[in-house]
Amino acid sequence: MMSWFFFSLLLGLWARDGQAGGLMPPQKVNLDADNAAQQLSVTWEGSQATSFDMEILRTELMEIVLNETVFVKLNLSTGRYQRNWTSPVPLECTSLSVKVRSRDGQDVSEWSPQQILPGKDLPYKAEAQMYPEVKVVPVGSNMTFCCIVAEGQQFGSMWYSQTRLNETMLSRRTYAATVTNQSLSKPSGTNVFCSNEKTTIKTADAGAVVFVGYPPLPSDLVCETHDLVSVSCAWTEGRKTYLYGTQRKTNYTLNGRACSIEKGPMQCGLDQWEGFWTLVAYNPLGQVRLTDAAELDHRVRPLAPVNLSPRVVQALNAIVEWRWSIEGYKTLSLICQVHLTNLWNNSTKTYTGVGLNSVVLKDLEPDEDYSARVRCGVQKNFWKWGEWSSALAFKTKMDRPDAPDVWVWMNSDDFGRVLWKPLTKRQSHGQITGYEVTLWSPEENIQQTVTLPRTTHSLPINGTDRGSTVMVTARNPAGVSRPASVVKPPVSADEIPVSRVAFNGSGFSLSWAAHANASCGYVWEWYRTGCALDCSVEWTRVAPDNTSAVVQSSDFMSGVRYTLSVYACSSEAPRLLERWHGYMQELAPSMSVPGLSLDQKGSDVQLTWEQIPLEQQRGFILGYNVYLTHTSHPTLYANITDPQLTNLTVSHLSPGSYKFTVKAYTTAGEDEGVTGFISLKPYTDWLILEILVSLGVMTCLLTLISSLCYRKRKWVKKAFYPEIPEPKLPGSWGITQGTLDVKPSPHSMVHIVENPEWESSKEALVTVPEEDEDEDGDEPLALRYYNHVVGEGSTSGRHPYAFDSSASSIGSMDSGRTDVTYTGIQTSASSPVPPQPDASGPGRRVGYQPQCSWKPDSSDAEDGGLDCMGSPTSVTSSQFLLPEDTSSPEGKENLSSATTWFHHFLTGKT
Amino acid sequence: MAEQGQFEVDTLLDMPAPGQTRTGRAVALARLLHQDCTHLLDLYRVRESLSSDHTPAGDRIVSLSPSSPDLGLEEQVQLLYSALRMCLGLLECLIQREDEEMEGELEGDYEQARKTVRDRLGHLLHSTKVLLETEEDVTPDHECTEEVDGVVGSFRAKMWTYRVLLELTHWADSASQTLHVLHREREGTDEI
Repeated sequence: MMSWFFFSLLLGLWARDGQAGGLMPPQKVNLDADNAAQQLSVTWEGSQATSFDMEILRTELMEIVLNETVFVKLNLSTGRYQRNWTSPVPLECTSLSVKVRSRDGQDVSEWSPQQILPGKDLPYKAEAQMYPEVKVVPVGSNMTFCCIVAEGQQFGSMWYSQTRLNETMLSRRTYAATVTNQSLSKPSGTNVFCSNEKTTIKTADAGAVVFVGYPPLPSDLVCETHDLVSVSCAWTEGRKTYLYGTQRKTNYTLNGRACSIEKGPMQCGLDQWEGFWTLVAYNPLGQVRLTDAAELDHRVRPLAPVNLSPRVVQALNAIVEWRWSIEGYKTLSLICQVHLTNLWNNSTKTYTGVGLNSVVLKDLEPDEDYSARVRCGVQKNFWKWGEWSSALAFKTKMDRPDAPDVWVWMNSDDFGRVLWKPLTKRQSHGQITGYEVTLWSPEENIQQTVTLPRTTHSLPINGTDRGSTVMVTARNPAGVSRPASVVKPPVSADEIPVSRVAFNGSGFSLSWAAHANASCGYVWEWYRTGCALDCSVEWTRVAPDNTSAVVQSSDFMSGVRYTLSVYACSSEAPRLLERWHGYMQELAPSMSVPGLSLDQKGSDVQLTWEQIPLEQQRGFILGYNVYLTHTSHPTLYANITDPQLTNLTVSHLSPGSYKFTVKAYTTAGEDEGVTGFISLKPYTDWLILEILVSLGVMTCLLTLISSLCYRKRKWVKKAFYPEIPEPKLPGSWGITQGTLDVKPSPHSMVHIVENPEWESSKEALVTVPEEDEDEDGDEPLALRYYNHVVGEGSTSGRHPYAFDSSASSIGSMDSGRTDVTYTGIQTSASSPVPPQPDASGPGRRVGYQPQCSWKPDSSDAEDGGLDCMGSPTSVTSSQFLLPEDTSSPEGKENLSSATTWFHHFLTGKT
Repeated sequence: MAEQGQFEVDTLLDMPAPGQTRTGRAVALARLLHQDCTHLLDLYRVRESLSSDHTPAGDRIVSLSPSSPDLGLEEQVQLLYSALRMCLGLLECLIQREDEEMEGELEGDYEQARKTVRDRLGHLLHSTKVLLETEEDVTPDHECTEEVDGVVGSFRAKMWTYRVLLELTHWADSASQTLHVLHREREGTDEI
C-alpha cells in the first residue's frame, strides 16, 4: 500500500513537471552552420509555442554567447521552427552548444537537449589554424579572427600585418582578436598571422588573408548601334573596388550574358537590338544594376567614313568624297562635319544629305596644303557624332599673286627708293618669280619699266627720274598680280616741325589729327634717323577712321633714334602730316663733346665745343654740365639746359690753373666728359698800374715828410743834434786857423770782429727756395737772411750784443761773415756785455761805421774804450752809418762834405 | 617589345665571356641566379610585409641533400641538377598560379624579377646538363597539383610561395658553391 502511494506521488510530480504549464520542449533541434557567413541556423519542431528561449554557449568554457527570447513562426513547408544567428566569431573557432525551450509568457518548457556545433579546435585536428582563412570585407568594417594553436603548443601572439592584436581566449587552444575600421588592403590582401612567440613573428604557425575594398559602383549605361543591327553598351566604371584577382574582381553581365572586359573601356555588346538592357556589376561585396532602353533609330551613331579622296582640286575649292562601310547608311539622312586644317587656320563646316558621301569645299587658299577629316550623324533623331575619319591631305592649285604693298621713301629731294613688302606665302599663291616696277608720268604719258628678281624688294629712284607714279606687280607661274601704285611725295614734304615721341613699353604711341584728303587711310613709316641709302624703312597702312597707332617692332634698339612719320593716303601723293623722333630707350651719350677749347680773355675764360654726332648721342641731349676744378675737387660750375648752346664764359677768375670738364647729358645720364686745362697769367696792365700808383704814393709821402722835417728842423736838430759846447782851453791858447790835424785813432771806431765760430755756423745757412720767396714776398731776401742769422744767434745766446747793434743797421748787410760791434759809441754803461778786445788791424776796417765826433787829444782814444763820444741818444735809432773808405782823399773829402752838408741841413745852413 | 628586349639582355648576360670555360660559365650563371633569387625574395617579403627572419612553417619542399659526404662531386652535381629541375617546376607552377589569381595586377618589379629567375634558371640547367654530359631532360620536374598549396589567395598559398622562393634561393646558392668546387677540380683554379 505504501509503495503504491509513493509511486502515485512520483507519477503526479512527474506529470506536473513534464507539462509545466502545458508547454512541450522543442524536439529534434538541429544545427546548420554557414561558415563563410558565420551564420548558425537552428531548427526544431514539436512545440506549439510561438516564443522560445535560445541559449548558445562556448562548449569548452561554458561561456554564454547568446541568451535571448525570440518569436518564431512555424514554417509550414518544413514543419519546423527556424532561428538564424550570426556569430561575430568564425564558427570554426570553437565548439558551440545550443539549447532551446518553449515559452508562453512566464511558462517555459524544459530545455531541449544541447546540440553541439563542433569547432576546429578539437584534438583530432591538431595542427595550427586561423579563421576565417580568406575573407573579403568592405572598407571600414570590423572583423574577428581566431587562432587555434597546434596541439601541445602555447599561444604566442596575433598580428594584423605588422600590428599586434589583443587576443581573447575562447577555448583551450583558441584565441580571438578583433580588428576595427579596416582600411584598404594591398592587391594580394592583408595577412593576419598567428605566432607561437610573444613579440615576434619569426614563424607563422597559421594565418589568414583579408581583402578590404568596395562594392562596384558603375554608372551611365548607354546603349547604341553603329550598324543598325547590333547593340553596343558602354558605362563608366566609377569608384575603384581595390579588389583584384579572379575571386574578387568585379564581373559584369548584360541582359544576363557575361561581359568579357580586359582592362579596356567598359563596353559590352549584343548581336541584336533588344530595346532594353540591364547591366549587373558584382563582386564579393555586392552588386549594382543599371538599365537603359531606347528605340533603334534614336541611337544610331554612324561609323567613320572610309576611303576619303579628293575628287577635284582647284585653286579656291575642292571636292572630297568617301565611302560608307554600312550599306544601311545610304538611305539615312545624314549630317556630316568636315574639319579643314591648313598651316594657319582650321575650320569646321557642316553638310547634310541622304547617304551623304561627298562635299564641296569652298573658299580655299591657292597653293595651300590642307588636311580634311569627316564625321557624320543621323540628321533625324540625332544621337551622337560618329568617329572622325582618317585625315585626307591635298593641295590646292596656284593662282596669280596678290598686289604687293608699295611705298616710296624719299630721303632727299634727289634721292629715294621704291619699296614693296615681300609677299607672304598666303599672298603669293605660288612661288614668286619676279617683280616689275613701272615709273609712269600721266602728264607726259611716259613710262619706263624695270623687271627685278624675286629677291629684290626695292628700287632706287632720284628726282630726275621721269614719272610721278610708281606701279609694282608681282609674278608667279599662275600669272601677274594687279598693279600696286603710289605717287611720289612732293619735294617739300619734309619741311614740317619734328616733335618727340616716347616709347611706352610696347611701342611708340602716335596720334594725329584727321585729314580730309585721307581717302585711303593713313600710312605711318619709321626708320633709323640719319640712316643712309640702305636704310631699312618700315611702313603700315591704317584705315581712314584711325588716327592713332602704336608702332611696334622687335627691331627697335636702345640708344637709337628713330624717325616716325604719318602720311595721309589719297589718290594723289602721300602728304606728310606729322613727324616724330623717338628712342625706344635713351642711353647716356657714347662719346664726349668734341672740339672743346678754352680761351683766356682777361680774367675770363671762354669755353667752346661742338655738338655730339647723332649716332653717338643715344638720347635727346638735354644740355651740358660744366665742371670746374681749381684747387679742390671738381664742382658743377654751370648747367646748360639749352642743348644748342655750345659755349660758356667763365668770368673773374684769378690767376692760376683751372680745369674745365664738359659733359653732355640725356635722361639716361652724362657722357664721360671732356676736360680742358688753362693757366691764367697775371694781368700786366693792372700790374703796371699798381706800380705807378705805388710810386706816386711814395713820392707824395716823401714830399710830405721832407716838408714836415724842414718846417720842424729846429726841433729835429735839437732832438737829434743838440749844440755841443765849445771846449774851453785853459791858458792862452789862441785859436789858430791852421789845419786841424784830425787823425783818426789807430783803432777803428768800428771793430770788425772776425768770429771763428761763425765759420762753423755758416753751414746753418740754407738756401731759401724760390717758392718761399713767393710766400714771403713782402720781406727782402737780405733781411730775411739777416734775421735768420740773428735768430740763430739769439737762440744760441752766444752774441746777444750783436742783435742790438745790427738790427738797426742795414749797412752791415754785406758783412755776412762778420759780427758788427760798435765800440766807443754811446755804449751804455749799464750794458752787461763787456767790450770785445780789438783783434783786427786798421787795414781790416771795411763796411760802415757810425757817424761820431771825436776828441783827437783824448787819451781815452788809445784804449779804444771811449774814443768816440756821440750823442747821448741811443745808438740804435739815431746813428747813421757812413761809408768808411777813408784811405782815399776823395773818400775823406766825400765824407767830410757829406758830413758838412748834413750838419748844415740840420742846422739850417746852406 | 619590352619583354623581348629584356630577354635579349638576359641572353647576352648568360652568354659565356670570351675564353670562359664551361664550368666557369656555369658558376657565373649560378651566382647571377642567386642574386636574382635573393632580389625576388626581397620583393616578395616587401609585398607581403614579411620580415627577413620570418621562417614559414612546414617541411622543405625540395628535400635533397647535395652535401652528403658519401657522394662524389659528379654525383653532387647530378643531385644539384635534379634539385634545380624541381625548383624550375615549382617556379613555373608559382607563376602560373599567381598569374591566374591576380590577372596581371601584380607589381611590375616582382613580375619582372620572377621572369628573370625563370630564364636564368633554365640557362643554368642547360649549362649544368652540358657539364654532366647527360641526356636527362631539362624540363621542369613538378606538377601543379599538390593540394598542400592551399586555396588560391589564402595564407597557406602565400606561405607555399614563400617556401618555393626560399628553396630557389637556397639551391641557387648551393649551385654556385658546388659548381665552383667542380670548376676548381676540373680547371685547377679558382678563377672564373
